Amino acid sequence: MKRISARVRTGEWAARWADLKYTLFLLRKNVLVMSGLIISLFFIFLALTADIIVNPILATPQGYPNDSYPFERRWMWSAYSIINWGPGIALYHGPEFLPIGTDGWGRDLLQMIVLAIPVDLQNAVIIVTGAAVFGTLLGALAGYVGGVLDEAVLRITDIFLAFPSLVLALVFAALFGRSVETLRLAIILVWWPPYVRLMRGQILGEKEKSYVEALRALGAGHLRILFRHIIPNSIYPILVQATLDFGGVVLTFSALMFLGFSPTPSLPELGNLAADGYQHIFEAPWLIIFPGITMLLIALAFNLVGDGLRDVLDPRLRR
Amino acid sequence: MVFVLFGVSLIVFYLARGFPRQGFDPVAPYINPKMTSEQIAEVRRIHGFDQPLYIQYVFWLQDVLRGDWGRTGIWAQGRSVLGVFSLSFPYTVQLSVAATILTVTIGLPLGIISAVKNNKLPDHVSRIIALTGYSTPSYWFGFMLQLVFFYYFSVWGLPNLPNNLAVSPGIGTVPRVTGMPVLDGLLAGNLLYAWDAFCHLILPAFTLAFISLGFLARIVRASMLEVMRQDYITLARSKGLRERVVIYRHALKNALIPAVTLTGLFFAGLLGGALITEFVFALPGVGQLSLQAVFQGDSNFILLYTLVLAAIIVVANLVVDVAYVFLDPRIKY
Repeated sequence: MKRISARVRTGEWAARWADLKYTLFLLRKNVLVMSGLIISLFFIFLALTADIIVNPILATPQGYPNDSYPFERRWMWSAYSIINWGPGIALYHGPEFLPIGTDGWGRDLLQMIVLAIPVDLQNAVIIVTGAAVFGTLLGALAGYVGGVLDEAVLRITDIFLAFPSLVLALVFAALFGRSVETLRLAIILVWWPPYVRLMRGQILGEKEKSYVEALRALGAGHLRILFRHIIPNSIYPILVQATLDFGGVVLTFSALMFLGFSPTPSLPELGNLAADGYQHIFEAPWLIIFPGITMLLIALAFNLVGDGLRDVLDPRLRR
Repeated sequence: MVFVLFGVSLIVFYLARGFPRQGFDPVAPYINPKMTSEQIAEVRRIHGFDQPLYIQYVFWLQDVLRGDWGRTGIWAQGRSVLGVFSLSFPYTVQLSVAATILTVTIGLPLGIISAVKNNKLPDHVSRIIALTGYSTPSYWFGFMLQLVFFYYFSVWGLPNLPNNLAVSPGIGTVPRVTGMPVLDGLLAGNLLYAWDAFCHLILPAFTLAFISLGFLARIVRASMLEVMRQDYITLARSKGLRERVVIYRHALKNALIPAVTLTGLFFAGLLGGALITEFVFALPGVGQLSLQAVFQGDSNFILLYTLVLAAIIVVANLVVDVAYVFLDPRIKY
C-alpha cells in the first residue's frame, strides 16, 4: 500500500517538473522576459548583499539639511556646466568620489539607494504574499462552499473594490500611526479583493471537473480535495497576478512614503529618498531622479516577467 | 449598488471616527480657539459626538440624507463640506477628462499597431511603452516633466510649460460657471485665459494618462488578437479585401467594444489617481484637499470624498454593463 502511494507521488512530481521545464523553455525564447528576469535577479542580489556592499561611513548623516541646501558640483560633473546639470555633493562632505552625489544629509545617494532596495523588496514581498494568501483562501472557500458564504464574500469584495484604494490606504495609515507595519497592513487591505475574484472564478470552473468527482468517489475529504488538488491546479493565474502586482506594490508603498507616511525622515526607502528631494527639485534634481529610476527599473523588471508569464502560462495560447 | 455605498460609508465612518487620536476629533471643525471647555463640551453634546459610534452613524446618515454633510476645517474653520468639495471637484473632473482623452488618443493606436504587427518590432516597442507606463511612479514622472518642460526649457531659453497651479496668477479672473478653468475661459470669451488654463493642464494630464494608456494598449491588443483569430476575418481576407479594410472595417469594430466600455472605468480610476498628480503639481483639486483632510483627520471631508468616488466607480461599472448590450448585439439580458 505504502509503495503504491509513493509511486503515485513521484509520478505527480515528475509531471509537474516536466511542465515547469516546458514553461522555462517557452520563457527562454522571449527576450523581454529574460531581460526582466535578469534585472529583477540583479535587484534581488543587491537586496540580499546590501549590508555587505554598503560602506557604513558613507551612509551616515554628515549634517542636517537646511533650506539653502549647500551643494557643490565636483569631479566629472563639473564639465557639464553648460546644461547646468550634474549631481552635487553636500559641502560638508569629505573628498570621496561619489558618482551620483549626496542627499541633503550628506549621505552618498548611491549607498542610500542600495540600502533602500532591500527595504522596498522585503515590504513588497510581505504585502503581495499577505494579500495573495488572504485573497486566495477567501476566494477558494467562497467558490468551493458556495451558497450564502459565496454571496457574503462577493458583496464584501464589491465594497472593497469600490473604494478609491489610495484614499483607504491613506486613511488607514494616518489613523494607526506612522510605522512600516501599518503601511503594510494598509496596502494589504486594498490589494486582496482582485485575488478573491480571480480564485473564485478558477475554483468554480475546476470543481465541476470529473477528477473532483472521482476524488469524492474515492472518499477524499473536502479539505484534501480543496487544498491538495483544486488549489494547486488553479494556482497559476494567482502566481501571474502576484508577479504583476509586485511592481505595483513597490510603487504604492513608496508613494505612501513619498506622501509623508515615513516613520522617520532619514529612513532609507526609495519613496522617502525621493520625498527628501522634491522640494528642492530644481536646485538638486538628482535627489529625486535616481531613486525614481531605481523604482521604475524594479517595477518594470517584475512587470516584464509577469507579462511574459501570463502569455506563457495561458492555457489557450500554450501548445 | 446602494448596499456597496452603505458598506463603504460604514467602513470609512468607523475608521475615521472610531479611533480618535490627537487632532482626529470630529468636533474640531465646529469650535474656535476662544471657546471654553464647557462650551466645547456643549457643542460636542449638540452634534452627538459624545454618543456611541453606531448612534453617531445614524445621526450622520440622517443628516446626509437631508443633504447636510457637516462641516470641515479645510480652508477655513467651520465651512460646509459640500461647499468646499463642490468648489474644487470640477477641477479634478477637468483633469481626469483631459487625461482620459489623452489615454484614448495614445493608447488605442498603440494597441492596434501592437496587434497588427504581432510579435514584430512595433509590438515590442509598444509593449515596452505600455509596461513602462504602469511601472513608472507617477509622482516621479510628474516631477521629471516639470524638470524638463518647465525648468530646463526656461534655462535653455525655450518656450516652457507652467509647472503648477490651475492658471497663472496674473491672468485675471473669469466668472465661474462650470468650475473648470478651460471651459470657463471659453464660455466667458476670454481666449487668453482659456489658453493659459490649457497650458497648465498639459503636464498634469499627461502624467495622469501615462499610467492608464499602457493598460488600454494592452487590452486593445488582447481583444484585437482575439478577433483576428475569428472565422469571419479569414472570410474577409479570402474575399480578397485589402488588409487595411479587413483590419479597420471588420476587426477593429468588434475589438473596440471592451476598450470603449473600459474607458468609463479608466475615468473613474483616474479621478482617484488624480490625488498624487494634484499633490505634485499643486493643483486646486479635490484630491489635494483630501490629502490635507487625511492629515488633519477631517472625517466629514474624507467621508464625502470616498463616497463620491465610490459612487462614481459603481456607476461606471453599471454603465459599462449597460453599454455592452448596446454595442454588442450578441449580448442579451
